Amino acid sequence: MNNINKLYKLHNSNQPYIIYKSNNGFKLYSDFSKKIILKSKIDVENFLNFKSNKKRTKKTDLFIGFFGYELLNNLIDIKLPKQNSLNFYKGIFYKPESVISINNLNYSNSYKKLNKNFKININKKTYTKIFDRFKKRIRAGDTYQIKICTKYKSKSKVDPLDFFSRLSEFNLAPEAFMIRDKDFSIVSCSPENLINKKGEQISTKPIAGTVKKIDKMNKSKALKYFKKNIKENKEHNMIVDMERNDLSKICVPLSVKVSKEKIIEEYRDLFHYVSLIKGKIKKSVNNLQIIKAMMPGGSVIGCPKINTLKLLNNQEKENRNIYTGSFGYIKFNGDMRFNIIIRSILNFKNISEVAVASGVVIDSNANREFNENYIKAKALIDLY
Amino acid sequence: MIYIIDHNDSFTFNVVHQFSKFDEVICDNYDRVNNDILEKASSIVLSPGPGNPKNYPKSSKIYKKYKGKKRIIGICLGFQQILYNEGAKIVEQKNIYHGFQSEIKVTNNSKIFNNNSVFKVGRYHSLKLKEPFNKSNFNITMRCKITNVAMAFENNLDKIYGFQFHPESFLTLNGNFLIKKILSA
Repeated sequence: MNNINKLYKLHNSNQPYIIYKSNNGFKLYSDFSKKIILKSKIDVENFLNFKSNKKRTKKTDLFIGFFGYELLNNLIDIKLPKQNSLNFYKGIFYKPESVISINNLNYSNSYKKLNKNFKININKKTYTKIFDRFKKRIRAGDTYQIKICTKYKSKSKVDPLDFFSRLSEFNLAPEAFMIRDKDFSIVSCSPENLINKKGEQISTKPIAGTVKKIDKMNKSKALKYFKKNIKENKEHNMIVDMERNDLSKICVPLSVKVSKEKIIEEYRDLFHYVSLIKGKIKKSVNNLQIIKAMMPGGSVIGCPKINTLKLLNNQEKENRNIYTGSFGYIKFNGDMRFNIIIRSILNFKNISEVAVASGVVIDSNANREFNENYIKAKALIDLY
Repeated sequence: MIYIIDHNDSFTFNVVHQFSKFDEVICDNYDRVNNDILEKASSIVLSPGPGNPKNYPKSSKIYKKYKGKKRIIGICLGFQQILYNEGAKIVEQKNIYHGFQSEIKVTNNSKIFNNNSVFKVGRYHSLKLKEPFNKSNFNITMRCKITNVAMAFENNLDKIYGFQFHPESFLTLNGNFLIKKILSA
């Protein structure tokens, strides 16, 4: 049986499976022998407490899954206030017994238009109020950049593989993934890598700045656009310094370097303004410490992280669930790869949830940011 | 040994990284300061951080206790913290600089840096020192080239130094040089 047929067969069965973008295509993870459900900080600490073994390098020698936003807060001792919640899982990791490669998905389901009745959780008026309140906090120096999250929800039953394959067709994001389990599915075209750890080397690749590929826009024009845009530059600079900081917590002094500073990466439909920061991990540091230093990923929260998280959490009425959490894997040899979960759809209890966020800095404009949120959400909602 | 007192900031470990070039560095958050380490330290650094100096009475206490006894360096919030304890007013400014690279100029008050030399530095501050500010032995030694806002001070008698900008930022081009000079002054 060839690999794509194995995927179709899995999909038509009831078995859970995961697809994650790889260098040349996708990897399909299945035949899970273990499923670890994480409910608390202690669960995460116990889960990450396994001793890595350099010799364990089989393709299946890993745990793959996600940490939700709440769990990542709890991990750095930030408690969330009472929020409305779907009671979705806080974190799950799976141990696969099968890992195979797939070149491309082209899965064509008899696609029917679905109910597109998405409702937004905060309207423009409320958004503007929150925005103005945060701007005051920026003026007072309590935060320098803060991301307001808006959520779109709709009742619908989706075919996650159909969604994922169409999404990958439009937007082949380097950190795209999907999870299909019995009672939920997640589809994401995340472009952002948060942790890439191989041996003692670690890197993070924050994105701050996105521009659509409209006619005549090419790589050098995109670079010019960003270099000229002072606001985009300031936002990006802040994230670079914050990621340098987070890496410096766990890296050998003086090993942290900005190895690519503000470059343009080209994807099928858009350009991203990206930096790459690298470091060498201290011998005494374990994977739990790395995760606590880096997560939740700063570029989707704001800066400085702790104070900004507190400001955000106190004003958000709804649990973020997976949004701005991290998906990825931990190999038994200690290597890790994690993304930031953005541009994602969570399907749970026949509800689809799309969350998006955009940043408030001193010179941003409420109207523009609200619309940017809408544009980001629309790319996903258009799949319905 | 240099003891860096963090204020829950997301840039403090860049400061730690930078100072590690010159000496052993220990860093703790302001609410978990270890008094033995504090006693042993040859220099104390008050880190950047969110908010206003008046939010951090513990750091003010440390400053007052060790003023004149150890070298004390303040960065961004730390710069404001020191001046606040010297009676200065720290106020909101009209133009806010977050993640901004700007040029600053050394004034003729500096005993460490050459008069009129210019540095490109990274800035992350909502608040600023309200001037005029006069306090004996405290001299404003760097200013923003465009707005004239105070960017550094020196008190060479008590060995107290402060930068309103961030020497550890990747936006600051000669950050290591600035720190080296301050530590050997």
